[in-house]
Amino acid sequence: MKRFNRNWAIATWLFFLAICIFVVSRVQIGADLSAFLPRTPTPAQQLLSEQLRDGVFSRLMLIGIEGGTPDALSQASKLLALRLRSEPGLSLVNNGDEDSLARDQAFLLENRYLLSSAVTPEHFTPEGLHSALENSLQLLGSPAGIMIKHVIPRDPSGEMLHILDGFAGQSQPSAHDGVWVSRDGKRALLLAQTKAPGFDIDAQQHIIELIHTRFTEATRSSEFAGLNLVISGPGVFSVHSRDHIKGVAFNFSIITSILVSIMLLLVYRSWRVLALSLLPVISGTLAGIAAVSVGYGIVYGITLGFGITLIGEAVDYAIFFFTRLAPGKPPGTALDKIWPTLRLGVMTTVCGFSPMFLADFPGFAQLGLFSVVGLIVAVLVTRWVLPNLVPGNFATHTPAFLSAWVMRLIRQAPRLRPVVLVAVLGAALFITLHQGPVWSDNLSSLSPLMDADQRLDQSLRRDIGAPDVRYMVIVSGKDREDVLERSEKLGAQLDKLANNQTLTGYDSPARYLPSEKTQRARLEALPEPAKLQANLRHALTGLPFRENLFGPFLSDVAAAHNRPLLTPEELRGTNLGLQTESLLAQRKDGWIAILPLRGVTDALPIQQALANQEGRPVLLDLQLESDSLYQTYVHEAIKLSALGALAIVLLMFVSLRSVRRVAMVLLPLAAAVIITTAIVLASGQKLLIFHLIGLLLAVAVGSNYSLFFDRESGSDDHDENSQRTMLSLLVANISTIIAFGMLAFSGVPLLTAIGETVAIGAFLSLLFSAVLMGQRVAR
Amino acid sequence: MRGFAQIKNSRATFVEHKYLSILKTPLEYSGTLTYSAPGHLEKQTLRPKSESMVLDQNILVVQSGEAHQKRTLSLQDYPTLWAFVESFRSTLAGDIDTLNRFYHVTLEGHHDQWLLILRPIDAKIKNLVSEIRINGSLEQIDTIEIRESGGDYSVMNISKDNS
Repeated sequence: MKRFNRNWAIATWLFFLAICIFVVSRVQIGADLSAFLPRTPTPAQQLLSEQLRDGVFSRLMLIGIEGGTPDALSQASKLLALRLRSEPGLSLVNNGDEDSLARDQAFLLENRYLLSSAVTPEHFTPEGLHSALENSLQLLGSPAGIMIKHVIPRDPSGEMLHILDGFAGQSQPSAHDGVWVSRDGKRALLLAQTKAPGFDIDAQQHIIELIHTRFTEATRSSEFAGLNLVISGPGVFSVHSRDHIKGVAFNFSIITSILVSIMLLLVYRSWRVLALSLLPVISGTLAGIAAVSVGYGIVYGITLGFGITLIGEAVDYAIFFFTRLAPGKPPGTALDKIWPTLRLGVMTTVCGFSPMFLADFPGFAQLGLFSVVGLIVAVLVTRWVLPNLVPGNFATHTPAFLSAWVMRLIRQAPRLRPVVLVAVLGAALFITLHQGPVWSDNLSSLSPLMDADQRLDQSLRRDIGAPDVRYMVIVSGKDREDVLERSEKLGAQLDKLANNQTLTGYDSPARYLPSEKTQRARLEALPEPAKLQANLRHALTGLPFRENLFGPFLSDVAAAHNRPLLTPEELRGTNLGLQTESLLAQRKDGWIAILPLRGVTDALPIQQALANQEGRPVLLDLQLESDSLYQTYVHEAIKLSALGALAIVLLMFVSLRSVRRVAMVLLPLAAAVIITTAIVLASGQKLLIFHLIGLLLAVAVGSNYSLFFDRESGSDDHDENSQRTMLSLLVANISTIIAFGMLAFSGVPLLTAIGETVAIGAFLSLLFSAVLMGQRVAR
Repeated sequence: MRGFAQIKNSRATFVEHKYLSILKTPLEYSGTLTYSAPGHLEKQTLRPKSESMVLDQNILVVQSGEAHQKRTLSLQDYPTLWAFVESFRSTLAGDIDTLNRFYHVTLEGHHDQWLLILRPIDAKIKNLVSEIRINGSLEQIDTIEIRESGGDYSVMNISKDNS
């Protein structure tokens, strides 16, 4: 019967492992930047995250070439652009060269009678034409005259200038030798748009590699020696953070495993113990990844990175088991005595991780699910499988001097009580009197991106003149035509506001792609050829222009009548098309247009103007949105952490049934939390919500120690067993510090914050437990 | 030429004629010029319509009197304009280095009657302007003639204002 039980446990375990391995082998790893955006956002946040995921913004790549003379940079930019333009994976490449500029200009000129808002019937009367011609005459005298004199015969009514005036205020990068360069001339700039959306990381990675290859090919000659390429953009971020976190997860788990293994070898001096100790860890990790994969379909890279901590946590259970294996006792009974305490410890730890699991952010939820499943599986394997894998007469031999040394330390620890009391009071005082904000108030602090990536992106965006848009108006409608018409009506309102200096300008998709209704109205405003000719003759009276100069004008207007209306397809391949695409989006329930506003001095009149518009356009204040998004995070984190802490306290009351004992268990943890918080603040950091999560985890992990101290101080037999328990606590603590401490060096802000908080907090929890309860344990 | 570097401030009046192929009669403008070394230059057009252009280092502010329109441009963003502006300013400042950056420079004549010919280096600018001819005597510019590549040209006569 016993034998049957034993085989049954091992078989179940192996079967379970096989399933996990099968699931894990098919796992899909993602690095979606929206992992840390909430699942139930406001419509505005939804829009933001959609744009981040697959909007045209997500497909932009900013490319810089550095490290050479301005001439070499410009030349390299031209050669690279030439090669990239023939790549099927890129829908647009722009380096500001004349070709693409000329293409845009030609497009505008060709379609000026459809695009210019100045095209009205009055504009083409003799009076209208006369005043337009007078304007042109004045411009001829200015420095701009040399540029426009060629256009006058085609465009005496000044439509082209009117269209270009609408663009005024949109900053353009500087140029050297005909291509974009940064203001300081140290970087040539290119803009590329990928066909694949930003969340398709494999495709993005492929394009990035391709750009690097083409760059290497283009700059082989010696004049380009020393040039290097930098790329940024949402796709690049996704690729980098996936690569980085993959690297962190892989390298750090190896280092952590090695360090923990070395420690286990030093303590137990047995390869067999080492190998067996890792079984619960491996089982837990596999089960955790499998659970996330089944639950979410995709495993974020960051979840794997966080998995390192499981190595430090799950190994603890094996440590408890092996430390308690004494000669002459069947392995199956080794954990019997401490099982209630161990079970309670696991439950508090699960309580600590659960709030993450319940979080509205898929990223957190994954970390929580992974840890909870991993820990439960690890403890089950330790309890039911591990004893069956060691021979009946197996015992571990920990060096006696080590146990004695630990007991001596514990005996001395209570002397530190005054020191701890002073430290806690000092830390509490420090936190209360802390100058400046305690909480980081910036949404970007949550970004899983590395600092260097963010800095590069900012500097490239500054160079290329991508404006920092704070306000935008979102116009929704049932189809594209609908939102374009509404954008035009809104544009008229915004023009008025711009005249009142409420804003300096705005962009609108209707500027590049007017609604069909408007296009038709403009065509109807153009007089028939004979009529136009007569009007022009009248208009020219008293002006010095030569006769017969305006033949091109007359034929262009005649041709405009016969032209089909402008479609989005015709815009494609020009920079204007890219612009239009970025301002229009199709959604599940219709279309939206985005109108970014420039130089807003007062949002209130804009808000009022919008209230009267049909279709309820929304003024979006990105600053406000991102602040409120961040507040959502902070509140959620505080709420969930409080719930987690409450659950831990309740659990202890239910299990320990003694206020005094609960107080004894919680006191060291509270002291650890206060001092850890003070240390984080004193190191000059602002608190992130990840620190908060970290503190809760520190409590969850630390409760294991204080619970064991509580158990030992309550029991009367202070035999070798209790020495072994204390030793195992120390070993377990060190493994936790190794695992979380490694995370602190990961370079991923989120993991670093959690890592440092838990490492410090867990260590202090053990220390303070010894200080508070050591006396009774080591009597 | 080098004598220009000595000049700190000067004021002059100008009359400019533009001969354009698309016009039957030339355009005429007149106004004042003010220069203070090394980088400040103002051109106030008074007739036929008032317009002011103020250049300070690399910032050009253009203001047309009627419409109260004011535009501020950075020269680096407008290479053609920059080259134009330097033909005049760098000559006044005696700044041969800057002139050489934009133009092939030839100097003919002698000290009391000289001719400076500037031919643009940049292909894009060469497409617009074939050469700029600056006539002068001693430390004074008398005429600036801009020959555009299509055959259009303009002549600006400058007379020193001694008041």
